[in-house]
Amino acid sequence: MHKTTIHSSLRKSICFCASLLLTSIATLPSAALADETCMSPYMAKIVGQEDYVYVWTLGAEGIGDEQDKLVTVDVNPASPKYGKVVNSLSVGGRNEAHHSGLTDDRHYLWAGGLDTSKIFIFDVHSDPAKPKLHKIIDNFVKASGGVVGPHTTYALPGRMMITGLSNDKDHGGRTALVEYTNSGDYVATHWMPTDQDLGGAVKSGNLADGYGYDVRALPRRNVMITSSFTGWNNYMMNLGKLMGDAEAMKRFGNTVVIWDLHTRKPRKILDVPGAPLEIRCAWGPLNDYCFTTTALTSKIWLIYEDDDGEWQAKAVADIGDASKIPLPVDISISADDSLLWVDTWNDGMARLFDISDPFNPVEIQQNKIGAQINMLSQSWDGKRVYFTSSLLANWDKVDAPEGEDLQYFKSYTWDGEKLNHQFSIDFLAENLGLPHQMRFGAYSLYGKSHPDIAASAMPPTLIPSNDVMTNSGGR
Amino acid sequence: MVEAGEALLQRLRPLRFGLLLLSVLLLTQATSLGAAGVDQPAADQPAAQVLAPGWHELEYTPPEAGSYQLPPMGLAGDGRVLNTNGEETTLHALMGDKVVVLSFIYSSCSDANGCPLATHVLEKLQDQLLEDPSQGQGVRFISLSFDPVQDTPQVMQRYGRPYISGDFDWHFLTTSGQSDLLPILESYGQSVVRDPESEEGETGSISHILRVYIVDRQLRIRNIFSASYLHADTMLNDIRTLQMESQGQYTLQGPGDVKSGYGSGDYRTKAQSLEQRKGAPALLWTPDWKPPTGMPPIPVPAENPLTPEKIELGRLLFFDRRLSHNNTFSCAMCHIPEQGFTSNELATAVGIEGRTVRRNAPTIYNVAYLDRLFHDGRENSLEQQIWGPLLAHNEMGNPSVGLVIEQIKSVPGYPPRFELAFPGQPISMETVSEALASYQRVLVSGNSPFDRWYYGSEADAMTREQQDGFRLFTGKAGCSACHLVGEDWSLFTDNRMHNTGIGYQQSMSKTPASTVVQIAPGETITVRGDVVADASEPRPNDLGLYEITENPDDRWKYRTPSLRNVVLTAPYMHDGSLSSLEQVIDFYNRGGVDNELRDPLIRPLGLTAEEADQLVSFLQALTGDNVDRLVADAFTVPVGNTGSD
Repeated sequence: MHKTTIHSSLRKSICFCASLLLTSIATLPSAALADETCMSPYMAKIVGQEDYVYVWTLGAEGIGDEQDKLVTVDVNPASPKYGKVVNSLSVGGRNEAHHSGLTDDRHYLWAGGLDTSKIFIFDVHSDPAKPKLHKIIDNFVKASGGVVGPHTTYALPGRMMITGLSNDKDHGGRTALVEYTNSGDYVATHWMPTDQDLGGAVKSGNLADGYGYDVRALPRRNVMITSSFTGWNNYMMNLGKLMGDAEAMKRFGNTVVIWDLHTRKPRKILDVPGAPLEIRCAWGPLNDYCFTTTALTSKIWLIYEDDDGEWQAKAVADIGDASKIPLPVDISISADDSLLWVDTWNDGMARLFDISDPFNPVEIQQNKIGAQINMLSQSWDGKRVYFTSSLLANWDKVDAPEGEDLQYFKSYTWDGEKLNHQFSIDFLAENLGLPHQMRFGAYSLYGKSHPDIAASAMPPTLIPSNDVMTNSGGR
Repeated sequence: MVEAGEALLQRLRPLRFGLLLLSVLLLTQATSLGAAGVDQPAADQPAAQVLAPGWHELEYTPPEAGSYQLPPMGLAGDGRVLNTNGEETTLHALMGDKVVVLSFIYSSCSDANGCPLATHVLEKLQDQLLEDPSQGQGVRFISLSFDPVQDTPQVMQRYGRPYISGDFDWHFLTTSGQSDLLPILESYGQSVVRDPESEEGETGSISHILRVYIVDRQLRIRNIFSASYLHADTMLNDIRTLQMESQGQYTLQGPGDVKSGYGSGDYRTKAQSLEQRKGAPALLWTPDWKPPTGMPPIPVPAENPLTPEKIELGRLLFFDRRLSHNNTFSCAMCHIPEQGFTSNELATAVGIEGRTVRRNAPTIYNVAYLDRLFHDGRENSLEQQIWGPLLAHNEMGNPSVGLVIEQIKSVPGYPPRFELAFPGQPISMETVSEALASYQRVLVSGNSPFDRWYYGSEADAMTREQQDGFRLFTGKAGCSACHLVGEDWSLFTDNRMHNTGIGYQQSMSKTPASTVVQIAPGETITVRGDVVADASEPRPNDLGLYEITENPDDRWKYRTPSLRNVVLTAPYMHDGSLSSLEQVIDFYNRGGVDNELRDPLIRPLGLTAEEADQLVSFLQALTGDNVDRLVADAFTVPVGNTGSD
């Protein structure tokens, strides 16, 4: 079942990228870079081993205190608490905890609730082992002019770009991007382009649905890219009921929008049918492309700038058998742009694609992680990969086949050929809830030493990662 | 143009004939032509005057209709007016269903660049509109006098009659006096100065700035013309531009996220902008409100008389998401104005935290007339019904009445509004329900094409096919056995409970082996039943009226819904299981679903395909004429969210 051969071209590409990295960090203290590979290029990076993974966790009726919480897992193998939950911070209510994102300085973690539209801002820098609830934005809908469901919280310099999923008029999929300052003040609302108000954008095909989901930026191309999922009605509805509701099934996003990053104006709307979700942009300085996967049509799409400087969308690979609804969810690109992890929620598989030729991704292995799987985060060097299980409160499975885990946090190492299981935390058995998105924390970011690992304390260094990449080979 | 001029002369209306003579004699003089045409009695006219462009051919090619936008300039004012029969109505009652061209005139006015210009241009515009009846039918002219003393309804009738071609929709209105007139003039920024020198006092000379307004179906002013700008050609293109806007992809009658044609790979979005989802407030009810054609008076409980203050308060509450336990749900999240005050996007509703609701959200239109509420008929007054959704665990999820009251009290804007609506009374279970009931009670919609045809004796109000459909409705198809049609009015419901078999089918049928699921425009997959079952919660059962009475004979009985505005309220049946009217007709044509408790009225009908089409066509004639106005009004209500006042 596990294919483990890695193409020679892939190896070459890894080596190429590694050499660039070495060049870039030559002037820095001798420590390996480690971080998620899917974060904002504006964001500071951890130097050294990540110490914690912050898991934004949904409360569930009948489980523990039934409310959403930020769960801190110790993931530093050198720590005496390695593999343990070291903190759990309940925030009150079930808000449909979903995605979270760090500010560019990594001092604060913004975690959104897709149902109540609250945004919880955690201070993760004062004590990385014990995040504090710093502020709650509870008037997001009012401030934004009716945007519901803050999803991606994406770091831009000094501010957060937040994608909405829905609106307070019909609970459908038309929505907007909403901009906040790092201190939590509302800045602006940028509505997703619709036929009635294209906002200056060009329709490349038939569609301008106004839906939203994820956002990523390619600063050196002055480009911001958004994808499109569905509105509150659908993401809050029981999944089986949804599949049986023909009208509701028509209300999924089918577009990716290319924006002018600087002016926040939509430039071009690309037809990408079947609910394109996570967007992961390549890191290589000449790689002007991003990947997304469509949840319903189960494909990998390449969003790329062609030789004429035009942005295009192309379906480049199938993910499993669409009729079995594998439901590709989170994806993660390796730092050298050679590998793409694709989690398929319904079958609990972590699939690995060789994307060294971005126009021809090839699936090279599948790993059964649990009864269902959603998010994954890998360290910058790709050697550690973490998985969680929950997708949406009313979409999650309620039963697991014998021997398969249902709601979990799992830690693996990746040795270049296979995943090696390190530890798991059963979030139901621990009465925590349904684990969703993961973000990394480390003392080294803030010039601090790990209190329990004196010997390996990192020098105080903060590296804006975008500079790292630019220095390593600018255009 | 020549013909129009000749026709004009041939009609030999003294005033206008005189003006034409005057126009020939007038010399060029720049002073009096500008943005304003100042009406003076003819005797006071300067010796020479340049005639406004509206009298001539346009000197430039008007911009092409639809090639430009007319940004809304604010709400068209309302007020009480009198028609030529002396009957009182309101300006807003004459707006909303058509594009309206409104001008202010007075019958004795004789300045060539004043009222006569306005009326002349409108007459010319009328002729142009009549060349394309489909376009002309969507337009209404209103000429309103600002001289209520001299311009009685009879005077306005005499004045206006010669101008109206055939049955063109042109109203010559006046007011009962200055107290009704002045607020109207003020709202339109029409400054009127009476000449103090005039010996005729109130009936004497009137100076005013000539303005003609184009008002869209959302009651918004979209253009204002003055004497130097007024011309039939430009106005015609403005009207066409607005009609293209309203007849085209952007409508108030359907979801803003338009998905028609989604089954095809060629599907094109017609998504409307939420930022531009702005409306115009309407006068929903006044103490002298009269039901529209085809509707009876609103039944109002003695203990909760309607007042504008209660309606206004209820309207705010209806759109306030803070009325749910976690501030995510207002009444309007399921009863969405542009979706027929129901939800076109869901078969059965989804409540707080995404909890499953078993049944389709019913429309609020004409809910005042129902004496049994909810699909199972378990409530009998709106005032009581209101607390059902507020407290239901799977709807708005409030744990107690007290919490709702405290929540409302905590919003700064509410206590003073409650005091206005209910002087001296506390914010309480009673006042909250009375306010909400009052708003819903006035969402009355009638005067549909059917009503105008059946009760208004407008022979052409329904098409031949619709008329054939009506005969089937009351005849062979037997629909009117439950969807009653009355002599003076019709609610299209008997307000009774029936078993058609659709509930039986839901309860008793086996899980299908597979389900076809659409995954993208024109793209479906067939999903195995067990895959769907794995993703499903246990299906909640629904036994209809039996759940209330526990009488086994009442299993799967549901309330007959009204059919008014039925094209706006898809999907259909208590469970939203039929997505189109065609499917509904087909269901009844097959005799529903057989079961031992099936209503004897439900039987195979033997309708041909053509007859089924005729029935559907008839159902399309049941849409009230004020739908756009009610929806546009709803759009003006601020959605109550955390942090709102």
